Amino acid sequence: MLWLNAIVSMLPAALLASAAVEGGVELPKSHSAPVQAKRYQIVTKGGVLSTQPPLAVVYLDGPFPQPASLPAKQVTQKDLTFIPSLLPVRVGTKVEFPNLDDTYHNIFSYSPAKRFDLGRYRPDERPIPTQVFDKPGLVILRCDIHEHMRGLILVLNTPHFVMTDTHGRFRLEGLPAGHYTLKAWIDSRTTREKSVELKSGETLHVDFP
Amino acid sequence: MSAAVQARDKGVARFRTRLFTAMMIIVATLTALSLYLAQRKVTADAEQNLQRTFQAELSSLHKLEELRHATLTDRCNALAAKPRIHAAIEDNAIDLLYPSAKDELRDLMEGEEPPPEQAAQSLHARFYRFLDPKGAVIKPLNPYDVGELDAKTGAQLALDKLPDTQQIGYIQEKTQAGAESIDEVIAVPIFSTDTGDVISALVIGFKRLELEDKHTGMKSGIWTNGQLHLPALPEPTQASLNDKLAGALANSDEGESYFRVDVGGAPHLLFYKRLNPGSLFPPAFEICVYPLASAMAQLHRLRWQIGGASALLLLGGFVASHLVALRLSAPVKKLALDSEENRAQRKRAEAALASTAEELERSTRYSADASHQLKSPVTVFRLGLESLLAREDFKPEVYEELSALLHQTHRLTGVIDDLLLLSRMDAGHLQIASTPVNLSQLVDEWLDDFGALPDSPDVKIEKEFPHRLFVAGEKRYTSLIVQNLLENARKYNRPGGWIRVSAHGNGRDVVLTVGNTGRTIPPSENIFERFHHNSTPSAASGHGIGLNLARELARLHGGDLRLVRSENDWTEFEVRFPAVDGVNAVA
Repeated sequence: MLWLNAIVSMLPAALLASAAVEGGVELPKSHSAPVQAKRYQIVTKGGVLSTQPPLAVVYLDGPFPQPASLPAKQVTQKDLTFIPSLLPVRVGTKVEFPNLDDTYHNIFSYSPAKRFDLGRYRPDERPIPTQVFDKPGLVILRCDIHEHMRGLILVLNTPHFVMTDTHGRFRLEGLPAGHYTLKAWIDSRTTREKSVELKSGETLHVDFP
Repeated sequence: MSAAVQARDKGVARFRTRLFTAMMIIVATLTALSLYLAQRKVTADAEQNLQRTFQAELSSLHKLEELRHATLTDRCNALAAKPRIHAAIEDNAIDLLYPSAKDELRDLMEGEEPPPEQAAQSLHARFYRFLDPKGAVIKPLNPYDVGELDAKTGAQLALDKLPDTQQIGYIQEKTQAGAESIDEVIAVPIFSTDTGDVISALVIGFKRLELEDKHTGMKSGIWTNGQLHLPALPEPTQASLNDKLAGALANSDEGESYFRVDVGGAPHLLFYKRLNPGSLFPPAFEICVYPLASAMAQLHRLRWQIGGASALLLLGGFVASHLVALRLSAPVKKLALDSEENRAQRKRAEAALASTAEELERSTRYSADASHQLKSPVTVFRLGLESLLAREDFKPEVYEELSALLHQTHRLTGVIDDLLLLSRMDAGHLQIASTPVNLSQLVDEWLDDFGALPDSPDVKIEKEFPHRLFVAGEKRYTSLIVQNLLENARKYNRPGGWIRVSAHGNGRDVVLTVGNTGRTIPPSENIFERFHHNSTPSAASGHGIGLNLARELARLHGGDLRLVRSENDWTEFEVRFPAVDGVNAVA
């Protein structure tokens, strides 16, 4: 589902260019056992939020033209967790928050990138409460009823982003040629970046130490 | 006599005065001592009571405060668990902190201020503020909702760092009217539910809970930031108390003590106790000033009571000492009288004794003199008769006559010897030189002599005693006793009669019994009296001192002489001698 979304979002870019970036991001060591089925959770350590097990989002920063419409994304609440726990979206994306639990949830965010409060709602709430994220930045999702619930939405100014696997490996394709800054979001306080020179038809190898 | 009475009365009076003085001294000392002790006790009691009151009131206040604090802690824990509060603090949405908390803390600020007696339970706050992670006050967007504070007051809420425990402080606030008031503030840490760290603190300001005045006239206040706030006292008094307190607090490490102060010229006790030991807020002390008026009144009353009691005691003492002196002097008086009487009696007795002794001595001397005066002419007489008897130119009748005369002179000598002995005994001059005397031998000798006597009548002698029987005594006197008894037995016997002499020892005594036939002695005759007279004159009459002498001698030896019986032609005497220890054992 996720890879389908990614492919769909990258389609227009892939038509224009054919540059690619691949490499690895050195992720913080995880001390807990790998979580099954990519059910990542958000953990806070010293006020820093990250996924568990650690994952990074690698994206190509730069001014890209805003499309007229963007496909909607979903962050569901299931078993008192946000799924996915970390969702990178392009600015202007509408995100749906379906409640798949048998209980009330009250999703809100006080983050500077997006303040909203969906209020309490049950699984049968229709239409599904949505929010449009129109400012780049990290949005911390909370539930007013279940205080341990945390979710992250990384709102990005670019259509070129990808999540690494649990080993930190990534591959971005269909990139335009040119001079850009490649960034790797690792946790709420750490974003690494590198200048890249992208050429058509070539695959650049970049490692984030 | 009258001089003696005067001296005696004077002595009694002096005794009374001394007794009264002593009593006065004792009473005065007791009074002073009890006054001193009472004063000390009253003061100490008052201090102790007030201290106890202070502590009790303070502890009840603390209980109320603790109730409030516990409620607040719960409140803050609940608040900290709220995701919105976390979100506001953690997600850098400080502007949303107060709005987020508003609903949670709505009841703190709502409603009218409760009456003081419900202040502790009602949790009605004057204001509240949040502290940011550095301890600074987070400014509210709308101060009206969280209690307005002027800048100076608000600044007092800031702490150097976030507390991890509840902190109590007292801040001064200038009210609109310009008067200063004290607010009690409680800073409660807010812990992150994620990390357990202190992410903020809620500072809530309350109207201060005041100590209740339970009719002691107590005035309470707060000393904080070097300033005393005791509105019940006038400014100048506060200022002077402030100085004293500053000195006391600077000099003592204790969080709690008290001292005496003068407030408006009346003595008071000032208690102080640290209200917020270990707090991050500036130290504050509860100050209570209690008037010592009731203690003073009590002391005053007690002084009067003790004084009155002492006066009564002194009066009683005066009366008692008077009575005691009278009671005591009566026997003294009586003793004086008695001793005088005794003295007179003694003098009389002494005089009588002296005259008796004199008489006795005179009589003894007379007896001795008489004996001597008699003895020498008798001796001359006897010697003359003997020399006449030695001549051969007289007729035989003359010799007979001379012999009779000589016999009489011998008797006379015997009487005189007896009298001499008696007089010595009477004078107490006769000393017995006690030695063992063989009584048996003595009796035998005397009985042998009987046969040689010229006028010996025809009597039969019966003897019944052991060969050796020793008695303790002086031989010549023992011999005299034995001679006396045997001679009497012979002398007063009838012709053809008999004498029986027996003796035996019983370990302690030796008893010699001499019995003879012959006329009986009537019971009326006091044969042991000196110079007694025979009721029936007979040829063989004695001179009347022999038995007396014998008895006296026997008694002088520790024995006795008595008439055992005298009836039916039988008269028996018994003389008891002390035995010689161990000598008669084989007898």
